[in-house]
Amino acid sequence: MPLTKYGFKYAVSAFFEMSRDAAKRAIPAHLEPMEVKHSLGVFALTAFDFTQSEVGSYEELVLAVITPPVLGVGGEFPRSAFFPFCVGTSTEASRLHAIERWHLPHYMSDIRVNFEEKDGKMTVHAHEKGRPIIDLEVSSHKWTKVNHLYQAFTVEPPQRFKADIHMAGDFTEHEEETGSLEIHPHPMCEPLLNADVASFPFRELWMKDGVQTFQPLQTL
Amino acid sequence: MPSKPLREGASDPVRTPDSALPAPETKTAGDAKPVAPAPSAANDLDYSNFFWGSGKDPFDILDPFDDWFDEARPQGYYLFGQPMSSTPKSRIDVVEQLHHEKLKNLINLASYNYLGLSYRPEVIEAAREAILKFGTGSSGSPILSGTTELHDELQHRIAEFKDKESCLVFPSGYSANVGIIAGLMRSGDLIVTDQFAHASIVDGIILSKAQVRYFRHNNAADLDRKLKDFNGRKLVIVEGVYSMDGDLANLPEIVEVCQRNGARIMIDEAHSAFLFGKNGRGVAEHFGLDDQIDIHFGTFSKTLGGQGGYVAGSRKLIRYLKGFARSYVFSCALSPGVVGGLIKACEIAHDEPQLRDRLWENTHLLQSLLRERNVDIGDSKSQVIPIMIRDDDRVFKVAEDMIHSGVYLNPVRYPAVGKHRSRLRISVTASHTKEDLHAAADIIARVMDRHGFLCR
Repeated sequence: MPLTKYGFKYAVSAFFEMSRDAAKRAIPAHLEPMEVKHSLGVFALTAFDFTQSEVGSYEELVLAVITPPVLGVGGEFPRSAFFPFCVGTSTEASRLHAIERWHLPHYMSDIRVNFEEKDGKMTVHAHEKGRPIIDLEVSSHKWTKVNHLYQAFTVEPPQRFKADIHMAGDFTEHEEETGSLEIHPHPMCEPLLNADVASFPFRELWMKDGVQTFQPLQTL
Repeated sequence: MPSKPLREGASDPVRTPDSALPAPETKTAGDAKPVAPAPSAANDLDYSNFFWGSGKDPFDILDPFDDWFDEARPQGYYLFGQPMSSTPKSRIDVVEQLHHEKLKNLINLASYNYLGLSYRPEVIEAAREAILKFGTGSSGSPILSGTTELHDELQHRIAEFKDKESCLVFPSGYSANVGIIAGLMRSGDLIVTDQFAHASIVDGIILSKAQVRYFRHNNAADLDRKLKDFNGRKLVIVEGVYSMDGDLANLPEIVEVCQRNGARIMIDEAHSAFLFGKNGRGVAEHFGLDDQIDIHFGTFSKTLGGQGGYVAGSRKLIRYLKGFARSYVFSCALSPGVVGGLIKACEIAHDEPQLRDRLWENTHLLQSLLRERNVDIGDSKSQVIPIMIRDDDRVFKVAEDMIHSGVYLNPVRYPAVGKHRSRLRISVTASHTKEDLHAAADIIARVMDRHGFLCR
């Protein structure tokens, strides 16, 4: 299978401390949550504004738990790894594509993700027909050009998969703890209830004008 | 043995140009072996990437880590743990580990020896006498044959200094924190600690099997939230001085929250005991809250210039911990030489309060010199002063330049602090001269300017 590429204008991400027990509940049994501190897992929220893909342009919100990566033999070292437990997109075509190709679990209605960049800050507002899902604010540090490798794990029981994903583009990150998160009562956020998700990110990551490249899916 | 002969550096060390750095060694991976990340990625990875391994053999992680470290080391990791070839006075000689070059007469802003006691002739003589009388080792657990008259005397002296009923001495600060916390707290209990708590506190919590919650740094309102809904046994642990930022615990508000929520309080005074407060008892005394704290922890490796840790508190607490602090029970007691030196160092810290006065004069002088020169020193309120770089990719280069320009200090980067919260850490001591501090401030400002890190 050829590489699958998605061009994006924005990929805005933030990592939050959450209860390790809740993180464990959100992922399959064969994976373990990465602990940022003893007893604390990591909730990773990523919002994409895709401008080019096989299924056109669309917006996407990915809710994930950070896990340890699978270290390959003779390969590039991943920067981090995650299990997306819920993905929301703005078009049906993008959902069907991601379910068929990557086995990603989706919220099956259209959502919208609005991005507002101002004075080195990025505000993300995700909603479903006006019903709020998540509000996120992050800020920038220094910008560099990168091409980072990440790993995503998915399942289609009993099968288990891993996708190697390269994220190339302008990148900034920091841990100044200046961002914020508001989780609204929406079905997409149900796994985050009683999960003690922090209201501020311990790490803020933000990419611009880049390309996300999926390697062919591997069966584990 | 070093791979190259030692070279004596000039008394005014000159910065090593980057071009003099050897090219990183590369290893060719065989088909069956994991390989290191691309050279450009060496700076993008760090220790945290190698915590988890995968595969069937726990040793599978060793080759990738080894390959990465080969590339990362010359880029700056070599700066950690460089051997000193002199006593940790205000001027030192260091064997630089990249070229194995001896750098001489550096201004030492890295050692914890806050009152300069580790090399006081009286302390050295006391250590010598203790070794002559008791030998080099204690030869047993403190609960069996390892306790000497000197150990008893040290515990008595520390309890007296801290104005507490009793004291227990451990072989290291790390083992003291682990022993106290795991000795007292149990599964089903709750421990709440500051998000910046030292690793020894976190490891004690893990060993105790108690539930843990972290409150936002120095934020009493968040501490209150974390304590509120728990009905069992609660312990709150804070540090007097936080070792990476040099700021103090917000103790008045924290004590009030703890008392309102029925939680016991433990304070880690590793960087503040024998320094803060009218009598030098620590930050708790500084805030007039000494009697409100239930457990007083401290170390001997910082201000007293020795080694070990202690807990001071009520007679009943110490008697209980003597039986249940496993790191106390199952470790050999401190060497009599160390204990002999510590008794004398404690005596000097008590009898010479002018040493503390000099430390604070020096601290305030260096802080103001650095601020005048537009160096970002964060929110330091103590002798621990961070020089904020906030750039993980460049902090090693700045530290390297500092050392080759004549100032020895330690770089700190992720994961010891948050990403891009990298800094150089300064420890001021009473033994620095005003000339040392003026010279250091000038060098620091010059190097920071050269790398574009001065605040404008």
